[in-house]
Amino acid sequence: MERFLELVIASVLLAGLYATMAYGLGLIYGVLRIVNLNHGGMIMAGAYAGWYLHSEFGIDPYLALLPVGTVAFLVGMGMYRLLVHRLPRGAAGGVQSLLLLFGVWLVMRNIAYLLFTGNDQTVHTTYATRAITLAGAQVSVNRLAVFGVALATLGILHILLTKTYFGKALRAVAQNPESCTLQGIRVDRIYALTFGLGTALASVAGLLGATLFPFNPSFGAAELLKSFVVVVLGGLGSVAGTAIAALILAAVEVFPTAIPGFPTYLTAALGFVLLVLVLVLRPGGLFGQRVLG
Amino acid sequence: MSTEPLLEVRGIDAGYGDVQVLSGLSLKVEEKEIVTLLGSNGAGKTTTLRCIMGVVRPRTGEVIFRGQPLSAQPASERAGQGMALVPEGRELWPQLTVRENLELGAYHQRARARAAQNLERVHQLFPRLLERKSQMAGSLSGGEQQMAAIGRALMSEPSLLLLDEPSLGLAPIVVEQMFEVIRSLHQGGMTILLVEQNLQAALEIATRGYVIETGQVKLTGTAEQLRNDPKIRAAYLGL
Repeated sequence: MERFLELVIASVLLAGLYATMAYGLGLIYGVLRIVNLNHGGMIMAGAYAGWYLHSEFGIDPYLALLPVGTVAFLVGMGMYRLLVHRLPRGAAGGVQSLLLLFGVWLVMRNIAYLLFTGNDQTVHTTYATRAITLAGAQVSVNRLAVFGVALATLGILHILLTKTYFGKALRAVAQNPESCTLQGIRVDRIYALTFGLGTALASVAGLLGATLFPFNPSFGAAELLKSFVVVVLGGLGSVAGTAIAALILAAVEVFPTAIPGFPTYLTAALGFVLLVLVLVLRPGGLFGQRVLG
Repeated sequence: MSTEPLLEVRGIDAGYGDVQVLSGLSLKVEEKEIVTLLGSNGAGKTTTLRCIMGVVRPRTGEVIFRGQPLSAQPASERAGQGMALVPEGRELWPQLTVRENLELGAYHQRARARAAQNLERVHQLFPRLLERKSQMAGSLSGGEQQMAAIGRALMSEPSLLLLDEPSLGLAPIVVEQMFEVIRSLHQGGMTILLVEQNLQAALEIATRGYVIETGQVKLTGTAEQLRNDPKIRAAYLGL
């Protein structure tokens, strides 16, 4: 029973990170109909940014969240204006956008190899190994903090999307861009801001991930794939759907570790088994086809 | 000049790809008029409205609003200048609530300041929208969607309202209500450009009309003249 509780807690805490990670990908796809393959690149960049600020300047990774997120937001806006903006959209633009953003990812990854080598890095904070007892289970303080930040991020996003003119306009653009133009919404500006927001979320997730796992320039690849699983499971842009999907993915990865002799290298594959099952059984995702509702 | 029309369309050519839809179409709408565009399917009525709103770019010619040529401005500026289109097929945001659809009608700066007031006015005009405020727009009936689409346009405080087939696909009793609403908006001082397949009803409330055929104005006159024109009676009214 105690073991079960530990597994539940571990799943919930991991789900927070997964939801943050996936949300940016879903947001960009929901609004721009573009699969941002550079999502993985920005996750990696966020991890290195946090590591660099911590190891060079002693800045705590949690204090680095806001500046790193802000810079990534501006980088995302810039990438939209410079590159993505020129791409054809929707079904016709699928191949071009995949290739372009994959190319950007490769460039970023190789820049990271040049700058930081391929060695694994970790962010060592003083509290990295500290734990507290929660309902009888030992829980890492850092994992709790990651979860707290993830929860806060998703909460802020939810308010942004449902309560502000910008958020409502963003959801409207996802559903019918021309009606938005007619009402005076500058659709291209919403696209740029959305791309910036999705990019910022990727970097924040990367930074949070860096406090938990060792990483190298290839960091972000598995995370991109996990983000796909969450987006497909949870549907586009619904904060609640993303959270539940992230929880399912986390539980699918965490629970089998309790089985004696279960090979740990298989845990990562379980998410994709889940993905295939969902695609076969419920191609619209677990919660249907709602778009940024 | 005080005689300047509110809207002038001057010799526009427009089309999609290789298909030319409008060739040298011109029209004028004076302040406080209801002008109706008549013509069969494919004549270019909807394209005319889309050119006026800037979502289709004319290849030649000019759209002039309050004396200002608009061709250099992005379409998203139109709402702020006082033009609003209720598009054919309503084109609401189906997965936003009725309330959110209306709120986004007041997106541009000028209207946003008075959004609360205007929302109340829209609710007075269409009490049904208040009842349905938390419902997804996609779940409304056709008539309610039309109300929401008109309400959204009114939220932007337009001085020129363009209506594209507001009665399309609606039950006769709802159509009557729509025309009643259009009439009351006009009495409240709104200038309206109306595209309508229901010719008889359109000519009843309009002050003037244009008959469009293959992208050109074939005939123009007061509503009265058009109603009594033998060609129109034969071709469109079946009389």
